[in-house]
Amino acid sequence: MSVTRLLTKMAGSGCHVEDAGPGPTLPKVLVVGSPNVGKSLLFNRLTGRYVTVSNYPGTTVDVSRGVLKTADGRYEVVDTPGMYSLAPITDEERVSFSLLVQQEARAVIHVIDAKNIQRMLGLSLQLAEAGLPLIVALNMADEARGLGVRIDAAKLQETLGVPVVETVATTGRGIPELIGQISAVRPATRVLTNYGAALEEAVVSIVEILPGGNGISARTRALLLLQEEEEGLAWLRQNVELAKAERVLRLAGRARCALRHSVHYYAAIALKARVEKILADCATFPVARANGVRERLSRMLMRPVIGVPVLLAVLYAGLYKFVGSFGAGVLVDFLQETVFSGYITPPVTRFVEAVIPWPMLQELFVGEYGIVTLGIRYAVAIILPIVSTFFIAFSILEDSGYLPRMAMLIDRAFKKIGLTGRAVIPMVLGFGCDTMATMVTRTLETRREKIILTLLLALTIPCSAQIGVILGLLQGRPAALLTWAGFMVVVFVAAGGLLSRVLPGEGPSFYMELPPLRVPSFGNVAIKTYTRVVWYFKEVFPLFILASLFIWVGRFTGLFDLLIKGMTPLVNWIGLPDQASTAFLFGFFRRDYGAAGLYDLQKSGALNGNQLTVAVITITLFLPCVAQFLIMKKERGMKMTLLMSGAIFVLAFSGGFAANTLLNLLGITL
Amino acid sequence: MKCAFCGMEFDEMAARRLCSSCALFGGCRMVKCPRCGYETPEEPGLIKWIRKRVRKKEGQR
Repeated sequence: MSVTRLLTKMAGSGCHVEDAGPGPTLPKVLVVGSPNVGKSLLFNRLTGRYVTVSNYPGTTVDVSRGVLKTADGRYEVVDTPGMYSLAPITDEERVSFSLLVQQEARAVIHVIDAKNIQRMLGLSLQLAEAGLPLIVALNMADEARGLGVRIDAAKLQETLGVPVVETVATTGRGIPELIGQISAVRPATRVLTNYGAALEEAVVSIVEILPGGNGISARTRALLLLQEEEEGLAWLRQNVELAKAERVLRLAGRARCALRHSVHYYAAIALKARVEKILADCATFPVARANGVRERLSRMLMRPVIGVPVLLAVLYAGLYKFVGSFGAGVLVDFLQETVFSGYITPPVTRFVEAVIPWPMLQELFVGEYGIVTLGIRYAVAIILPIVSTFFIAFSILEDSGYLPRMAMLIDRAFKKIGLTGRAVIPMVLGFGCDTMATMVTRTLETRREKIILTLLLALTIPCSAQIGVILGLLQGRPAALLTWAGFMVVVFVAAGGLLSRVLPGEGPSFYMELPPLRVPSFGNVAIKTYTRVVWYFKEVFPLFILASLFIWVGRFTGLFDLLIKGMTPLVNWIGLPDQASTAFLFGFFRRDYGAAGLYDLQKSGALNGNQLTVAVITITLFLPCVAQFLIMKKERGMKMTLLMSGAIFVLAFSGGFAANTLLNLLGITL
Repeated sequence: MKCAFCGMEFDEMAARRLCSSCALFGGCRMVKCPRCGYETPEEPGLIKWIRKRVRKKEGQR
């Protein structure tokens, strides 16, 4: 995109709205910080009971305001929405950033949770670098001390060059000292972080061009422009003449090209290193914290030597044993054989036959593909127990904080196929629902990554219901399960590797802040599982009923038989009997519906081990469902989607054929 | 609410505004983390009702 077009595109996209405060005369004190650090409590301590809460103009983000009366005068105190960094991502952060830039604050109080100072001091460094009149409030100082965290506030103050006050907002301790600093504080002047030679050179060049006196320092403006932040670009367009703005963007673009990773990455790494250095001088942490079991476990989970066996153990225990054997085995058998065959299907069939005299209409409800005998049975007796057990296992992993560590573990391997650990998010979501996961590919950094992962999701990642049914189908046949899993891994790596070589573009970078590792709470797991099961059931249930209706209409008009006839040669080509055509036809609507069809086929003894494995491989490689096709079209465009869908259809049957041929050639019986 | 993947805390209503740029316009009933894009299903009415009751009880204490 050209520099001029970029500037035009960004016109008016920032939060440039005049803030409607209660009165322009009172000097402003802004209270900023991450959520859950006691910011609002501290705000209440400063302002008392009388507070106004209003939406920030042009947004629905709440901003609270109150008045602080001191011996020096009155101040308007503004409780800003939570922010993690000066480079805004959320609407809340954008509002806080706008307030910081536009309010010309008398003082900016950065409230830090002293227990977690390592994660929060980075924002203090950014605020100081922005030249704001900063006061750092080390809140929850009592809790930090209780945990053995010792912070030398005086030394920290000396290092940062801004006032640092220890506070306990719940009791009011330190609040008078904090108020005492407000009238005396001056804009910070110290540059605290070095972002490395290449970035620093670019910052200096850009600072020379930018005008001064714009709410925040030119250095911070330059960094925001280098990071292509919307606010920075919108400000540039509105405040800098076109020729200069174009020069700035050219400089920023050139600097970005010269870097191996993104500017965000270098900025985050530099800030983290600086925070660690400052805290090494100004704070001590309990030994148990630094070398605690959780910390060590967290590090081990991200190293291949321990991380890979743990990952395999998680897959074995969580998926194979719990979802496959228990969910798809014990629970499905119980619901199918005992509940449906014993208590639901016979009386419903009798009732329908008694009430509806026309056999054709009876077929719609209780026929071979009827709404009750197929649609509801598939949804309730096969899919429900499988997704429930899958979501229990998934929620335990999610609540434990294991998933981001898995992302870090996989990052290096993913780079070989043009992806990063960031791709773990859509991939993990893909095991729930591929359609949703395809939409989440938009969070990936490059177009190349998005294309690669969209194809891999559609081709190789089975959704929760499908994976459960597959595990159920192949339970008691570990060799068949390994063959299926191995085949999928080979296709995943081969397709990803090939695409990453064919598609032009740079390798992306990946870093993330890890949330703490914790013991999953029963309540959280129960709520998450229930939430997901309800969500999935609402999605899938109407579709299964609809599929039964379509099949009924198809059979009535003869279209269904025609499609099955057309499918039979393909199915025979991969070594499967004619009856498998029906399951594959189901698979075109939804992969999990097709897999459930295979479940019936396996129960009737129509497939041997090899045929079952080939059928499962082929149906896994299918395009997941019609919804997936539509989302792919929305995200990647019609041309790319048709190309991918065609390739997937060919690959699915070629894969099945290759698997069947290989098994026969090698004389393997699964 | 808190993102189950990256731990970021965000307002559910604010996150919903991201839906306007999506193909499903929120029809998926998922809530997306503004930082990492991880999606969590929207809590069912029953859970919201229980939470509301618990908060109310805590407020009375």
